[in-house]
Amino acid sequence: MIQQLTKFERRFGLVISVLVAGAGLTLIGMSEDGLLAIHGTIILAAGFIAALLTGGTIHEPEPDAKRLESYYDDPIKFGIIVSMIWAVFGMFMGVWVATLLAYPEWTFDAAWSSFGRLRPVHTTGVIFGFGGNALIATSFHVMQRTSRARMADQLSPWFVLLGYNLFCILAVSGYFMGITQSKEYAEPEWYADIWLVIVWVAYFALYMRTLARRREPHIYVANWYYLAFILVVAVLHIVNNLAVPVSFGHIKSYSAFSGVQDAMTQWWYGHNAVAFFLTAGFLGMLYYYLPKRAGRPIYSYRMSIIGFWGITFFYMWAGSHHLHFTALPQWVQTLGMTFSVMLLVPSWIAAANALLTLNGAWGKVRDDATLRFMFLAAVFYGLSTFEGSFMAIRSVNALSHYTDWTVGPVHAGALGWVALITFGSFYALVPWLWKREGMYSSKLVEVHFWLALSGTLVYVFAMWNSGVIQGLMWRTYNESGALAYSFNESMVAMHPYYIARAIGGLLFLAGAVVGFYNIWKTTKMDTVQSSVPSGDGLIADDASHSR
Amino acid sequence: MFNLHYKLEKYSIRFAVAIILVAAVGGIVEIAPLFTIDETVEQDPNMRVYTPLELAGRNIYIREGCYACHSQMIRTLRDEVERYGHYSLAVESQYDHPMLWGSKRTGPDLARVGEKYSDAWHVRHLTNPRAVVPESVMPSYTWLEKDLRTKDLGQHLAALRKVGVPYTDAMIEHAAQDAYGQANPDSDAAAGVEERYGEATHIRSFDGDSRKTSEMDALVAYLQILGRLSDAATQTPPSAAPSTAESSVTEEAPDGN
Amino acid sequence: MEIEHGALVYFSKFYGLIYLLLLSTGVLVYTFWPKNKKRFDYAAKSILTEEDHPHA
Ligand code: HEC
Ligand code: HEM
Ligand code: HEM
Repeated sequence: MIQQLTKFERRFGLVISVLVAGAGLTLIGMSEDGLLAIHGTIILAAGFIAALLTGGTIHEPEPDAKRLESYYDDPIKFGIIVSMIWAVFGMFMGVWVATLLAYPEWTFDAAWSSFGRLRPVHTTGVIFGFGGNALIATSFHVMQRTSRARMADQLSPWFVLLGYNLFCILAVSGYFMGITQSKEYAEPEWYADIWLVIVWVAYFALYMRTLARRREPHIYVANWYYLAFILVVAVLHIVNNLAVPVSFGHIKSYSAFSGVQDAMTQWWYGHNAVAFFLTAGFLGMLYYYLPKRAGRPIYSYRMSIIGFWGITFFYMWAGSHHLHFTALPQWVQTLGMTFSVMLLVPSWIAAANALLTLNGAWGKVRDDATLRFMFLAAVFYGLSTFEGSFMAIRSVNALSHYTDWTVGPVHAGALGWVALITFGSFYALVPWLWKREGMYSSKLVEVHFWLALSGTLVYVFAMWNSGVIQGLMWRTYNESGALAYSFNESMVAMHPYYIARAIGGLLFLAGAVVGFYNIWKTTKMDTVQSSVPSGDGLIADDASHSR
Repeated sequence: MFNLHYKLEKYSIRFAVAIILVAAVGGIVEIAPLFTIDETVEQDPNMRVYTPLELAGRNIYIREGCYACHSQMIRTLRDEVERYGHYSLAVESQYDHPMLWGSKRTGPDLARVGEKYSDAWHVRHLTNPRAVVPESVMPSYTWLEKDLRTKDLGQHLAALRKVGVPYTDAMIEHAAQDAYGQANPDSDAAAGVEERYGEATHIRSFDGDSRKTSEMDALVAYLQILGRLSDAATQTPPSAAPSTAESSVTEEAPDGN
Repeated sequence: MEIEHGALVYFSKFYGLIYLLLLSTGVLVYTFWPKNKKRFDYAAKSILTEEDHPHA
C-alpha cells in the first residue's frame, strides 16, 4: 500500500512521522507528573512506526501513473476495518458498564476498571472510535464519487485517519489512567486536543481540495452535511476546550470557563456534538448510500436542502435544554426549549425524505437487509428526534433530566440511528470497494439486522421504563406531604431494568461481532471484474421522477 | 501533491463560510451575554476559594469520574429542594473550572453533601459502599489511601489564578504546606491554613490517619466543603412557598430575566 | 453594568429573530427558485450513474 504513495509523498510522510516522534520525545522530556511521559511514549511509538513504514520504502520506484485513473480507496478500506474494531471494543465496554450498574462488583479491584473511568471509554469508543472512523472513511468515498475526482493527494487521507486514531487512543488510554477534563464528550486533555485540531485542519483542507477538482458543477448535498460536520465540530472543539495547563509538563489543565458560563459552553458543545457529529455527518451517509442502494434518487432534493440549513441553524440554539431549572438564566432556557421544538421540523424533513425515497420500493426493503438497516435508521432518527424535542420541554425535562429516561432516547439515537445507518452503509460499500460480488454471507447480514433491532428495542424499552419510574419516585409525595421514596429505594427499583439493558446491549454487541466477521470474510473473497455500485444486483427503477 | 496553485475554488469556500456564519449565531447569542452576567447574579464577597487540599480532592473526584453518577446542581423544583436542600445558585460554582453539575443521577446529588455525614462515614463508604448501604451500586474506591501528591499544588493554584480564581501569592507559595497542614491539625503547618483560608475551614485528619496526607484526606475534605463555600444560599429566601411538584420554586430565574 | 447585560440580551434576542427570518426566507427562495430545479434534479440523479472511476 505504501508503494502507492509517490516518492515525494513518502518523503513528506517521513518528515511528518519524525516530527510526531519528536513531539512524543518532547512530551516525555517535559513530563513532570509521569502520566505525560506515558502519553509521550505512545506518540513516540506512533511516530516511530510511521517513520519505519515510510522510510523503509523511500527508495522504491514511483507508482504506476495508471493509479490516477481510479479513485484512491485504500484509506477508506482501512477506515472501515478500524471503525468495526472500535465498534466491537466500544460496545463491549458499553455492555460492561451496563453490567456494573446491576452488579457493581463485576470488575477488577483496580482503579482503571471502575465505572467512572470505563464510562467515558465507552462513549468515546463508540462515538469517536466507531462513529468518527466511519464518518471519515465514508466521507472520503462520497467526496470522490460525487465529485468524480480522485482525492487531491494520497498522503493527507492517511495523515487524517492515522492521526485521528492516535487521538482516540490517547483519549481512551487516558481515561483508564484517570486523565480527563470531565467535560462530557470532550474529556481528552490539552495536548490531545491540540493534536486533533491539526488533524482536523488537514481533513478540512483535503475535503476542500478534492471538491475543487470536481467534474460536477453542483456539490451533491451529502457533501454539505459532511462539510458542516467538519467545520462546526472544529469550532465547537476549539471553544469548549480552551484551558490553561498547569504547566507544559502536566497532563492536567483548568478550563478557561467556570460555573454558569462553563455549563452553557459545555452543553452548547455537547448538544452540537450530537448535532454535527452524530447527526449531520450521518445524514451525509444517508443521503448518499440510501438512494444508491435503493437505486432511486432521493425523494426530494429540495427537502434535503431545507433540512440542511434548518439543522445547521436551529441546533446551535438548543444546547440550553440540558440546563433546565438550573442556575442558568431563564431566558436562555426558554430560548433553548423553543428552538429544540422547532428543530423537530428539519429533523423530520430529513427522516421523511429518506422514508419517501423508499416509498414504492418496499419490496426491496423487505428482501434486502442492507436497505432495511437504512430504513430502520431513518425510523429511529425520527423517533429519537421526536423524543429529544419532547424532553426539551421544560415540564417534561423536570421529570426526565438526571434519569435513565435521557439514556433511552440517547441510545435510540445511538444504536437505532448512528449504528444502523453505519452498518447499512458499510454493507453497501464493502463489496463495492473491494470489488466483490456481494457480502460474504447475506444470511449473516440478516442475522445482524435482527440482533441489532431486538437489542435496540430491549435497551430502549428498559430505559423508558426505568427512567419514568425513577423520575416519578423522586417526586412522589405521601399523604402527609413528605417525599414518599428515599433515593435508595429508587436505586433498588432500577435493578431489573439494568439487567434487561445489559442483555439488550449484549444482543447488539453480538450483532456487531457478526458484522465484523462478515466484513472481514468479504475482504478475503475473490475479486470480480465489475462490482455493481447500486448493490447486490438491485436495478435502478423509475429514476425519472423528482420533486 | 500539495499543489498550492490549486487555488481553492471560490464556490466551495463561500459555502464553507456560509455554514460557519449560519451555525455561529445561535451560540453567540446565548453564550456571549453570560459573560456579562457576573454583574447581575447574586454576589457573595465572602465566598472562599478551595484550599489546596480540597482542590486536590476535587481533581480526584474528576479523575475517578464521580461526576458520571453524581450531579452537583439542585434544580429549582420543590422535590429536589426538599430532598437535597436549597437550589443551587450560580455564584456557588463561580470558581469551578470546570463546573461539575453533571447530567445523570445514578447516585444522589452532592451539591450540599458537605457535613451531612462524618468523615469516618465517608471513608468507610468510599472504601466499600456496600458496607454502609448494602444495596448500593457505587464502586468501591480501595486505592485512595496512597500518599497525595502535593508538591505541584502551587502550580495548580497559579493556573487557576490565570483563569480568574483569586488565589493570592501567599496561597500559591504555601500550597503544598497548606495541603499538609489541613489534614494534620497538630502540625505547625495547620495555623497557616486558617490564616489564609479563614476560620471556618475544616482542619482535621479526614481519613483518621494523621501520619500522612492521603488521597482519601483530599477527597473527603472536598466532599465536606460541598455547598459550604458560600452562604449566599442561606441568605436568599430559601424554598419560599413551593408550589406544586411540577412547577418550579422560582418561576423567575436568579437573574430576574 | 446591569444595563449592559440587559441591553446585550435584548440585542441578542432581537437580532437573533431577524436573522432567523431572513435566513429562512433566503433558503426557501434558493430552493424554490425555478432556475435551480434543473440543477437539483440533475444532482439527485447524478449519483446513480454506474461508472466507478474519476473523470479525466
Ligand atoms: C456507578 C455510579 C457511582 C459512581 C461512579 C460514584 N457513586 Fe457515589 N453513589 C452512588 C450511589 C448509587 C449512591 C447511593 C447509595 C450509597 O449511598 O452508596 C451513592 C452515594 C454517594 C454518597 C452519599 C450521598 C448521600 O447523600 O447519601 C457520596 C458522598 C458519594 N456517593 C460520593 C462519591 C464519590 C466521591 C465518588 C467518586 C470517587 C462516587 N460517589 C462515585 C453511585 C456512584
Ligand atoms: C452494545 C451496546 C451499548 C450498551 C450496552 C451501552 C450502554 C451504555 C451505558 C450503560 C451507559 C451509561 C448510562 C448511565 O450512566 O446510566 C451508556 C452511556 C452512553 N452511551 Fe452507550 N451503550 C451501547 C452502545 C452505544 C453506542 C453505539 C453509542 C453511540 C454511537 C452509545 C452512546 C452513549 C452515550 C452518548 C452515552 C452517554 C449518555 C448520557 O450521558 O446521557 N452507546 N451506554
Ligand atoms: C431534534 C433533535 C433532538 C433534540 C431536540 C434533543 C434533545 C435532547 C434533550 C432535551 C436531552 C436531555 C438533556 C437533559 O435533560 O440532560 C438530550 C440528551 C441527549 N441527546 Fe438529544 N436531542 C435530539 C436529537 C438527538 C440525536 C439524533 C442524538 C444522537 C444520537 C442525540 C443524542 C443525545 C445525547 C448523547 C444526550 C445526552 C447528553 C448527556 O446528558 O450526556 N440527540 N437531547
